[in-house]
Amino acid sequence: MNKLLYIAKRLLLGIPVVLFGLTMTFVIIYLSPFDPMTAILGRDSDPETARQLAIALGLRNPDGSPVPLWIQYKDFLVETITFNFGQSWVVTRGQPVGALVWERMPATVWLGFWSVLIALIFGIPLGLYAGLRSNTWGDYTASFGGIVWRAMPNFWLAVMLAGLLSAGGALSFYRGFLIPTDVIGTSDAIGALFGGFTPISSLEWLRIPVPNLYNWAAGFKWILPAALVLGSSSMGNEVRIGRTAVLESINAPYIDTAKAKGLSTRSIIGKHVARNAMIPLLPVIMGEFYLLIGGSVLVELIFGIRGLGNLFLSAIFASDVPIIGALTYVFILIIVFFNIAQDIAYTIIDPRIGLEGGNE
Amino acid sequence: MCATLTDTARDRERQDETTLRERIAANPEPAIAWSLVAVALIGLEFGAFIAGLLLVVDSAVIAVTALIEVTVGLVSPSASESIVGIQQAASGTLDGFRSTANSLPTLLSRETIPNQGYKTGPNGPWENTFLGLEPAVAWAIRAALVYAYAAFVSFWAFRGWKIFRANYRQSDWTPRDDVIDRLDGHRWAQFGIIVVLIFTTMALFAPALGPTTVEQNIQSPYSHELQYFDAEDGEVRTALVGDANFNSKSKGNGEQNVGPMTYDDFGRFHPFGTLTNGRDLFTFAVMGARISLTVSALSMAIAGLIAIVMSLASAYYKGIVDLAAILSADGITSIPQLLLLLMVAMAFQGHWLSDVFNGGFLLALVFGFTGWPGLWRAVRGPALQVSEEEWIDAARSFGQRPSVTMRKHMLPYVLPYLLIYGSMAVGGIIIALSALSFIGSGLGINPPTPAWGRAISMGREYVSTQSWHIALIPGVLIVVLVTGLNAFGDGIRDAIDPESEGGAEEEAAAGGTAG
Repeated sequence: MNKLLYIAKRLLLGIPVVLFGLTMTFVIIYLSPFDPMTAILGRDSDPETARQLAIALGLRNPDGSPVPLWIQYKDFLVETITFNFGQSWVVTRGQPVGALVWERMPATVWLGFWSVLIALIFGIPLGLYAGLRSNTWGDYTASFGGIVWRAMPNFWLAVMLAGLLSAGGALSFYRGFLIPTDVIGTSDAIGALFGGFTPISSLEWLRIPVPNLYNWAAGFKWILPAALVLGSSSMGNEVRIGRTAVLESINAPYIDTAKAKGLSTRSIIGKHVARNAMIPLLPVIMGEFYLLIGGSVLVELIFGIRGLGNLFLSAIFASDVPIIGALTYVFILIIVFFNIAQDIAYTIIDPRIGLEGGNE
Repeated sequence: MCATLTDTARDRERQDETTLRERIAANPEPAIAWSLVAVALIGLEFGAFIAGLLLVVDSAVIAVTALIEVTVGLVSPSASESIVGIQQAASGTLDGFRSTANSLPTLLSRETIPNQGYKTGPNGPWENTFLGLEPAVAWAIRAALVYAYAAFVSFWAFRGWKIFRANYRQSDWTPRDDVIDRLDGHRWAQFGIIVVLIFTTMALFAPALGPTTVEQNIQSPYSHELQYFDAEDGEVRTALVGDANFNSKSKGNGEQNVGPMTYDDFGRFHPFGTLTNGRDLFTFAVMGARISLTVSALSMAIAGLIAIVMSLASAYYKGIVDLAAILSADGITSIPQLLLLLMVAMAFQGHWLSDVFNGGFLLALVFGFTGWPGLWRAVRGPALQVSEEEWIDAARSFGQRPSVTMRKHMLPYVLPYLLIYGSMAVGGIIIALSALSFIGSGLGINPPTPAWGRAISMGREYVSTQSWHIALIPGVLIVVLVTGLNAFGDGIRDAIDPESEGGAEEEAAAGGTAG
């Protein structure tokens, strides 16, 4: 019961954060020198068209008087929160923004999924390895590799990798390797990851999607370079944090106790060291999602992936306010969700963390 | 941390202390010996020092008037125009002083050791270069001298501190001595310090380091001429720098490539090769270092100031103030910084504020206002910790003003933590800044002012060709600098607080912005 209460409290605290984030978006777009009219119509526009547009955008009342700012703010908040994003102004003029976001979502989710997973698969074992063999050459290589890997800007890494993978580059064989895929651009494979649905025996309504394995493989191979780049900084973080966490827990007295009890090294590492090392790793893993959303903008730009990050960038270039507002809202929701998930995961991994003082 | 901050005249009297002046008068030899060398060092570069100081003053004038103008402009546009007038007049006067200062001869200037010259025959001697040496050698001598000078100045400054510590300091020992001593055997920290010094020198001496100048080669190449030996005609000719650039492009194929450490057809030496538009990458990169470092230092100053004020206030008052701080920090970090930067950059596109310092000022403001929550999270813990101490209660109970308590009794404890996390977060700012310049299209530093990200963007299509240097070299510079800053942060953390190990907050600070 206590835990449920905590979760409810944590969710409640998420509300002002979402509101604050949206307010900031509103302030940046509506209170800055930015002029949406010029963005849509260009500098020299017909006054009549401009008047109609201003009414349509909710900037002016039909009688020509300007709509007070707080009403604009209220409309912005209400419409955004209820997922009523309106239509795109410039990027795909007239298309409902909600549909557009939905259409671009799969590529970003696919990219994010693999970049988190690849970073975890390589980063955590490397960090554990470096911590368990501290001050050996293996440790130095892994730690230094982690540090440099983290210091590399995503966009630069993406440029270098995309260049090497392109025709004439040292890695150009990759495109034809096993399954022919493109490296730059969006693969069709992710649109067809599931070939159909099989109903489960007698239950007609319960259907299991049938994965199309070829498309999974093609989709994975296509996203691998971009996911590697996007996961790079998190991977470096995981190596470093994992190493210090292992060092800290391996010198703890309970490890000596476990040794004295005659536990095998394997179970000491598995049950005591690795588990305790997860505590400081948790925020890093959760932080990945945060890095990912920002990073996806650049990685999607360079690898030509038609995902949300790319959409955000086109919206910025075209000053397409509805798309910017909608995407910011979606991103805020994702981040707040993962922040709450992190706090809840903390209480599961580390029961010492008080449920009362968990909001830090 | 530093008890000396709280010294007042009365304290000194009570503790029977002498002033620094008296102590130097009592034993003047070491101070005099040290000062003589220091004066000589400054004398070598006197013009540059004064010009640098004036540049800082000039920038401050522009920045402050710009801020005032924005605020006043909200109320009355006419008043803001008169402020622009004042700004231009003040800045113009300062520019005049600066050109005078720049004309003073200095040891490390391009005039003393020129590297731009031309051959008089196919194998003939070089004209107009230092001692008639090849441009590459002349440039290398100048660059080596700049770094030797910078290394010696840093060494001498450190030695000055040691002399002070040995001869003139009142107390035999302060906690800071231990901090310095711990750095002594810390190779990783020393690596960081050296990298930071190398890049700071690069930024400070950018005009003297490049084989050519930004003005000549990048800003207005068609208003400058150069002489070169034309191998086909066998005679010395004159050309516009712009035309020479046009024929020295690096575009991947064999005909059009000027790689690192080579000469182009106009007898110009390019240590890092040329860009796709034929401009010199080294000149571009060192100027880029100056801009990156200035903008990130300014952003860090803004973010650090906000973070300190917020953390001290929320730790001292707690309750509602703390909650407000938490909410605003969470609100700001609920939008990824890069997206926030993109939005603000879009909103201010074409606004005059985006022209101050070629866009750097606006970027610094945005980085400052979006970057403080990360720092605040890092220093909030120490601030809360110190606020629980008895001496804070004591100060409160005898009626000390809250601002004084915060400044004198809390700030010294919190400041070192800010230094640690700040140095780690600067790397994130440098990366984000170059990411914006990479995207271009009105974001980031305005062209043609050099920016590392723009060079990477130019070289994007040539990674797998002969012109690989365009995208590779600026990227490597960023990686080295950011690694160095992280090492520096690690080092001072170990030195200040040897008990601690890397925690999650600082890692978050280090990788704060995904660029």
